[in-house]
Amino acid sequence: MTKTRRRRLAAAGRYAFLTLWAVIVIFPLYWIVSTSFKPSDQWFSWPPVYFPSPPTLDNYRDVWIGATSVAEGGQTALSLQTPFLALRNSLILAFGATAAAVLYGSVIAYGVSRYRLLSETRMFQLLMLRMVPPIVIVAPLSLYFSYLGLLDSMVGLGVMYFLTSLPYAVWMTKSFIDEVPREVEQAAEILGASRWRTVFEVVLPLIRSGLVATFMFILILNWSEYLLSLILSKTNVVTLPVELSKFEGSTEGRLFGRQAALSVGITFPLIIIGLFIRKHLARGFSFGMVRR
Amino acid sequence: MAEALAGAAAGKVAPGRLDVSRSQAVRRFKWVILLPLMLMLLSLLTPVLLLQLYFSFHQWTVYLSSWWQADFVGFDIFQSVFTDPRFGWAVLRSLAFAGGSTIGCFVLGFLLAYLIYRPFRGQALYYALFIVPMLTAPIVIAYTGQMLLDRNGPLNDILSWLSGHDIRVLWLSDPDIALLTVTLLDIWNWTPFSFIIMLAGLSSLPKEPVEAAQILGASAWRIFLEVQLPLLRPVILLALVLRFLDAMGSFPIIWGLLQGGPGTATETLGIYIYITTWQDFNVSLGAAQSYITMVMMVGIVLLAIRLLRREKRSLDTMYTKPRDAEETA
Repeated sequence: MTKTRRRRLAAAGRYAFLTLWAVIVIFPLYWIVSTSFKPSDQWFSWPPVYFPSPPTLDNYRDVWIGATSVAEGGQTALSLQTPFLALRNSLILAFGATAAAVLYGSVIAYGVSRYRLLSETRMFQLLMLRMVPPIVIVAPLSLYFSYLGLLDSMVGLGVMYFLTSLPYAVWMTKSFIDEVPREVEQAAEILGASRWRTVFEVVLPLIRSGLVATFMFILILNWSEYLLSLILSKTNVVTLPVELSKFEGSTEGRLFGRQAALSVGITFPLIIIGLFIRKHLARGFSFGMVRR
Repeated sequence: MAEALAGAAAGKVAPGRLDVSRSQAVRRFKWVILLPLMLMLLSLLTPVLLLQLYFSFHQWTVYLSSWWQADFVGFDIFQSVFTDPRFGWAVLRSLAFAGGSTIGCFVLGFLLAYLIYRPFRGQALYYALFIVPMLTAPIVIAYTGQMLLDRNGPLNDILSWLSGHDIRVLWLSDPDIALLTVTLLDIWNWTPFSFIIMLAGLSSLPKEPVEAAQILGASAWRIFLEVQLPLLRPVILLALVLRFLDAMGSFPIIWGLLQGGPGTATETLGIYIYITTWQDFNVSLGAAQSYITMVMMVGIVLLAIRLLRREKRSLDTMYTKPRDAEETA
């Protein structure tokens, strides 16, 4: 009797705690969405408005199409905003750099898995590219890039995204390649396939769902990257996270509604992608420490 | 060693064809793979690190003319960094922020993982919800934080409603609270990371030791402390180390939310370097600060790598699969 009661209490406690955390997780996201539908007089009101009434699409229109009629005395800062350019840049940079990193990373990973291309020490040292914070080199990097003509260019920022993505690409794809039985490659080899053909036509197709998971995992990181983009871009290659900060600090006050409207556009594609690959997320950073 | 391994693998395919041309081909294959990476590192990182070193020893700000004519000043700039109390505070704040975030994420992430790892109704839904913060861009979290934590924001409203008093905490403008605020936001952002790692660790634990302990009549608490926790050591280490390293370099949340303010209350290393270089335009000072930070971080990373490698080694010997053993033999 007491035992079943205690067990029931424990189960209830568990649900209560998990639900509490779920609410803490969801509330900020709810707030972005709800703010993005609020008219400007409800952005700062006290008490705060939880359900925009009436909900409006003005914020989305102002962010994406341009402010036509904004409250007190037109806002010049808006002309600086280039959401479609930022969207295009973010798409090209995140997808391009990620694809390149996953492709090259998986070839390196194959070499490591099958030919010990990099020793375990080197594999861990590769992580330095990711683990040492970029802020410590961005100043000389931007100077160097300006001499190479790479400052404020897609190539320059893309190369940096590529390099910082590579460690995760190698480690993550290696965990998938390690699971491919060697017999498959040996069969291909007996049939006379070259090493390169074996990699591209036998091994990589076998791990394609792993490659997709790796791609999306790194895409999330590159899509949200802020610091490199802030420093290595000026006006041409602004990405969405930097675009978002343009709604900040200008004289006309904080434009919560528009920030929220743009945030929705930045965030929700990522959440969908992440939920899509949720089962594989652990591989992204388990670095061979979790055994199945 | 590597050639021998490749040879051994090949030996299975075609016994007797283990010859020089093959190992040459393997070597060429390896070089072709590595060459682009080496070229990139050499052409990008080397000049950047040299420039960094140059600026650390030559006094230059953007107000002076060409940077290559700057005066050599020896260790003066490093000395001014080391005697700068603001830099020392930035180091301490970074450590406090990273340490707080690491511990907070770990405790919460481990607790959530422990509560969720055995199948129960709703498990998949909770898992999906819990990973969401990690998928949100940090800069979005910063700006959302600004809305939520405003003096007239919903957080104070909810706290007032819960407590029945009128609570107006100045989450962002009170210098005593600001660092705690950004740490809490960082914990919100990255708890999923520890959660995912600990969940993977917990669900990959072998079942036999736990069952054996249960048969021997051990309590759940003792099983956790004396059986599961020791087995989880490598995963725990991984979760702590990676989170700490990442938090040390954290930039967007603090910058987007407070720019190091109010005053210097949230000025961590990354923020201070940024302000020195891009607001004061003191490139040399920024370079020296960066250099010291980099040396420190490389030191910490190397230490972390040694720790992780040792754990991975012991795992490797524990889990050597019969198939692998056969192939290397």
